[in-house]
Amino acid sequence: MKDLIRIRSLISAEVESLLNQQVKKEATSSSIYLAMASWCNRNGYDYSSDYFFKQAEEERQHQLKFYKYILDMGGNAISPDVTGIKQEYNSFREVFEEALDQEISVTQSIKNIYARCLKEQDFVTNEFLNWFLKEQREEEYKARRALELFEVIGEEGTGRWQIDKHVGGIKYDSEA
Amino acid sequence: MVTTLITDPQTSTWSDVFSTQNGAVYQCDAERCWYVDFAGKVAKFDYRCLLKLKKAVYNVDIEAKLLDSSKDPDVEIIFICACDHTYILTLLQIIALKEILEGAFVMLQLNHIIQDRLYRIAL
Repeated sequence: MKDLIRIRSLISAEVESLLNQQVKKEATSSSIYLAMASWCNRNGYDYSSDYFFKQAEEERQHQLKFYKYILDMGGNAISPDVTGIKQEYNSFREVFEEALDQEISVTQSIKNIYARCLKEQDFVTNEFLNWFLKEQREEEYKARRALELFEVIGEEGTGRWQIDKHVGGIKYDSEA
Repeated sequence: MVTTLITDPQTSTWSDVFSTQNGAVYQCDAERCWYVDFAGKVAKFDYRCLLKLKKAVYNVDIEAKLLDSSKDPDVEIIFICACDHTYILTLLQIIALKEILEGAFVMLQLNHIIQDRLYRIAL
């Protein structure tokens, strides 16, 4: 008996479902960043607003990358529902704390898919995920650096204005 | 694509995937499809439709239906989008069909593991 499902789809149903969950996660991430951009803009943090707009766009690109991969492998990519996005934040600092939490949760989720693929010996998907693992290094680095500005500069006086100015300059150009 | 056939399910090119007293799933390698023999008919399912059928059947909340004391008829319509085929089943038939599909997918998974782990190395 031929393995007909394998002929139609390179990835297993479980991996497909995990990848679809990741599509949703990236879409949610993108929406969260968009809400953060709006909050920062409304509260006068222009540079941070721009930073989050860029992040939102990046997450959207990640979402599409997963989406197209599922389709390329013969799977069924599901356009996700994104609801319940938090629109209000208590403080400037809280925005960045949640941004870092968000990135950590994305990394964990990708690690989870990676582990599943290793178990199934789905090396093709592992190879695809390598790009995202590297990307997460940058994402977590940037989120951590932004939060560290609150410690280094301090929020007193014109501190938040300084922090906002420096957020725009955060870059990850490590050769490692 | 789903087609209802009147032919005998025991066609020589069909492999048995899984069967119970209530029905069976056969695979046809030549046509790259599956035949589901259930509720008095044999219906042809391609890969996408078989997955949709599985999803539709698995999504029926059997427990809720059993606990439901309203006087509504005990009938569920299994409608598969983009397939010209529908099942109208009683709760007992749903349970039976679910059993067949669960068994069939376990067998297909097993076949996949055998092909993947054994033939990949042997060939």
